[in-house]
Amino acid sequence: MIEEIRNKAKELLETKTVDCVIGYEPATDNLTSRPVFIYEPSQVNRLIFDETCVHNLSKYLINRRYKPTGIVAKPCDTRGINLLLNEKQLRRENLFIIGVVCSGIRKVRFNQIENSMPTKCQYCSQHTPVIYDFLVGEPVTEAPTHNYSDITEIENMSPAQRKAFWSEHFDRCIRCYGCRQVCAGCYCYECFGDELDPLWVGIRIAPGENWVWNTVRAFHLSARCIACGECEHICPVNIPLMLVNRKLEKDTLHLFDFEPGIDTEIVPPFATYKKEDKLGTGE
Amino acid sequence: MAVSHEPRIVGFLCNWCSYAGADLAGTSRITYPANIRIIRVPCSGRVDPLFVVKSFQLGADGVLIAGCHPGDCHYTEGNYHTRRRFALLRPFLDYLGIDQERFRLEWVSASEGKKFSEVVADFTETLKRIGPREI
Ligand code: SF4
Ligand code: SF4
Ligand code: FES
Repeated sequence: MIEEIRNKAKELLETKTVDCVIGYEPATDNLTSRPVFIYEPSQVNRLIFDETCVHNLSKYLINRRYKPTGIVAKPCDTRGINLLLNEKQLRRENLFIIGVVCSGIRKVRFNQIENSMPTKCQYCSQHTPVIYDFLVGEPVTEAPTHNYSDITEIENMSPAQRKAFWSEHFDRCIRCYGCRQVCAGCYCYECFGDELDPLWVGIRIAPGENWVWNTVRAFHLSARCIACGECEHICPVNIPLMLVNRKLEKDTLHLFDFEPGIDTEIVPPFATYKKEDKLGTGE
Repeated sequence: MAVSHEPRIVGFLCNWCSYAGADLAGTSRITYPANIRIIRVPCSGRVDPLFVVKSFQLGADGVLIAGCHPGDCHYTEGNYHTRRRFALLRPFLDYLGIDQERFRLEWVSASEGKKFSEVVADFTETLKRIGPREI
């Protein structure tokens, strides 16, 4: 698997098909992995791929949108690429996607590798990349399924329990905005969280302000979140952000029969409407 | 001493229908509860979900979005977009702890002063029943 990636990367760089390949290399702790940008064919042996490759590298493509770039991508990351293509942030002709078949990675936190899978993998059934130029591994033929048992569990709580559940989590937020920085969908030049006039999210760290941030951040990614789980992975205070994102994913699927990042052409639900929409409201 | 709870409603009314509807209620001397604080917006489609979240953060007990009936939007399609956004936002806020009865979308035309007063009265009643919102 690693050899295939390296050989492909080497070929791409030697033939100048791309001038950079974005992938993973071992981190200095010799335990986890980190993103790497390979510009020279002689350097391709730095590339690896294993269960520690958590990062969604598609975010890095935005800054290289005009330059031919190769990228190593897991299925969830390829959905990120599709999202950016759909939103006209990237040019397909500048991309060479080395898609990797993936059956789940390991939970990595603060340089510790845990023996369990992150939430995103526990509920993921998309094991084959949705877009690629070169595929590493055997494609999985089973159609992906959906499992939202974690979300229904919260939906079934009493309103008071639910409120307590979320304030316990959101109150911890230190508003580092890391969840936004890692997000492939958060490429706004000016985020509402940074706007000073009007000051949508107050500077003080207070429960109400955290609530605005966490709610609106998630809603900006409604029908866009591709469930790569990077926000949850990065959050320094362990807020289960995927539980927020996946609620929107579940409802989007139910209301609009839409899944982000699966297709590059399909018009996302908030960019269009139907006069005869039956959404259980305002008909 | 029991003090009755007077809910505060933030109402986003579109300029072309619902705001005129509220105006008509006024000029026709139809009374409606003073619990609503009206904010005029060009179109119901102008209501960013952020406005709704912010209203709740700052202590609103309920948020009302009112616009032209489907097909009548001054900008042709604004309210269709509002409808989609609302359909997703309402259960989402409920999931995060804001009872969905606290958030409403209504279509009120410029000639529906009566309907406007009924909407506000009914919404106020509902909010009184579910009681104050703990922030
Ligand atoms: S990463 Fe976590 S702590 Fe940082 S802003 Fe996001 S939710 Fe808050
Ligand atoms: S949170 Fe919203 S405004 Fe901020 S970068 Fe993400 S999408 Fe843009
Ligand atoms: S102008 Fe009234 S809803 Fe658009």
